[in-house]
Amino acid sequence: MASCDNILVAAGLHKTLGKGAAAVHVLRGLDLTVRRGEFLAVMGPSGCGKSTLLHVLGLITPPDDGAIELDGQPLPAGQARRNALRREHIGFVFQRFNLLNVLTARDNVAVSLRIRGKSDNGRVAELFEALGVARESRRKPEQMSIGQQQRVAVVRALAHRPALLLADEPTGNLDSTNSQALLEILRQTNRKEGQTIVMITHSASVAASADRIVQMDDGRILDGNDSAGR
Amino acid sequence: MYLPLANILHYKLRSVLSALGIGIGICMLVTLSGLSRGSLYEIADRWEAVDADLIVYPDVWGENVTTMSGIGVPDRYAARFRAKHGRLVEDVVPVFLWHLRLAGQDQTVAGVDVGDFQRLVGGRKLSAGRVFDPDGAFGEWLEELLLTDSDSDEVIEITEADLADPQHNGLELVIDDRLAAAGDYAVGDVVTAANHRFEIVGIVPAGGMTRLYMPRRAAQMLFGNGDITKSTILFVKLADGAEASLAARKLRRPGLEVIQVRQYRDMLEHKFGIMFTYVDAVNVIALVIAFLFIMITLYTMVLQQTRQIAILKSGGATNFFLLRQVLAESLLLTAAGTVIGLALSIAAAWAIQHFRPLLTVTITWHWVLAGATAALAGAALSALYPAWRATRVDVLEALSLE
Repeated sequence: MASCDNILVAAGLHKTLGKGAAAVHVLRGLDLTVRRGEFLAVMGPSGCGKSTLLHVLGLITPPDDGAIELDGQPLPAGQARRNALRREHIGFVFQRFNLLNVLTARDNVAVSLRIRGKSDNGRVAELFEALGVARESRRKPEQMSIGQQQRVAVVRALAHRPALLLADEPTGNLDSTNSQALLEILRQTNRKEGQTIVMITHSASVAASADRIVQMDDGRILDGNDSAGR
Repeated sequence: MYLPLANILHYKLRSVLSALGIGIGICMLVTLSGLSRGSLYEIADRWEAVDADLIVYPDVWGENVTTMSGIGVPDRYAARFRAKHGRLVEDVVPVFLWHLRLAGQDQTVAGVDVGDFQRLVGGRKLSAGRVFDPDGAFGEWLEELLLTDSDSDEVIEITEADLADPQHNGLELVIDDRLAAAGDYAVGDVVTAANHRFEIVGIVPAGGMTRLYMPRRAAQMLFGNGDITKSTILFVKLADGAEASLAARKLRRPGLEVIQVRQYRDMLEHKFGIMFTYVDAVNVIALVIAFLFIMITLYTMVLQQTRQIAILKSGGATNFFLLRQVLAESLLLTAAGTVIGLALSIAAAWAIQHFRPLLTVTITWHWVLAGATAALAGAALSALYPAWRATRVDVLEALSLE
């Protein structure tokens, strides 16, 4: 990925979910700038559009209006090319983990790497070890606790060393000890590998781990967007 | 683990039912083909087992020679061929064919002189009992009665009792062991067929020309309107070094066709070609149903795995990757179905031949390969629409993220 101060710039994002009477205008002209190597926390009340923002930034769904620049480049036209960008540069930790139930933890990560055309090189085992789920790596998600599943989801998101990690409530299902361990991993990858992290959280103490916190409400960023950091 | 394989192992019932559906389709293809062709080829095999090179029959019969019986070729040709073509012909065997209903179905019975019996059964030794009319007494008795020149105008009347006279019993049968198994017959049993009572005097291993053998003179007398001067066909055994096609041309006479024994199979196939067409049509229908089953299964699979597909797409999986997953799962199920189909076919063949000993199911690799190829091609085609549906899955909707 080419070097640029801002890895992600979103301007005037609009997104409506649902159709007809059930349609909800979730993002309402949202602007957000994320600097390279930054650890950013997005906070806000439930239903304010935080997860939708992450899906739009993660190129899982396109905005209805507005523009996104990734590393100084506008997004290419066509979903296939955006998918290629997502495979190469973005890691995603979903709020509900979204692990494949038919595969073991290890195989979940392996499939993710295979989709991205990446090899393991021992990193996966290190991540499993660091996140305390090495023993569970041969188990299927249904044989693991919620917290263990969450940590496996983080391993999957980090395995291919994405330049940008988008995490939706990554500590939402963890106890305080495991939350701290996970945040430490995120901080380490952020500092050692220069990985940019955008994390959604409800917890002020979790958000405190980030370099910068932005508040979001009613589909817009309220404040913190221009902050230089903590 | 490979994702398509993991899916198959995870959704066990669905996988088993799918593979079974495919397997039944392949089993139908292999078994029906094996049954229709097997039974027919078994007849051809048996005719080819006759220790002879040529078949002589009335030319007006054409391909119907494969099903004809009764009066056909005058016996005098046997003597003429021997006399005129002594260097070409080693032996000529007149055979009178008829049909007797035994073991619940019509059986071709070959009336043959006791001295020619071994040639007809391809040298097989009797496994029980003895050959009919072993000393030729019946043949001699009838020939003396009917073939000796006589100036007398007296009508010769031969009764059932005359035929069955213990001194020269002509109502004797030798049957093959498959017919014996099918009818639970043993040496010494008396059976009634065509309004006559026959005694089973011997059992020969299957593989000879027919399943039933009786004295030719008795067959001519009973089923040839009392005329014992004509048989149905002649088998000709050529002398060593004689070239069959050349010999056939030399022996051909006006009104008589001469073919090589190995041509019989082609004639049989041609004669019953319409039956193969019918069976193949049934097979195609069976396969189409099996493919529809695969398609429905895969479509259900895509619906069932919408969330999984959405997860893969959210990770950046390309349409090609998703298509490959669905296709691989389809092909794996089909491969399993093919194995099941083959196993079912072998079991069906065994069951058919065990409970219906007179039927032959010939499972050939040709048809197994044809079934497997058709199934794999069908599975690939059947996977296309479900795979396309997979690429159309809406990630956010499927993951119910909001």
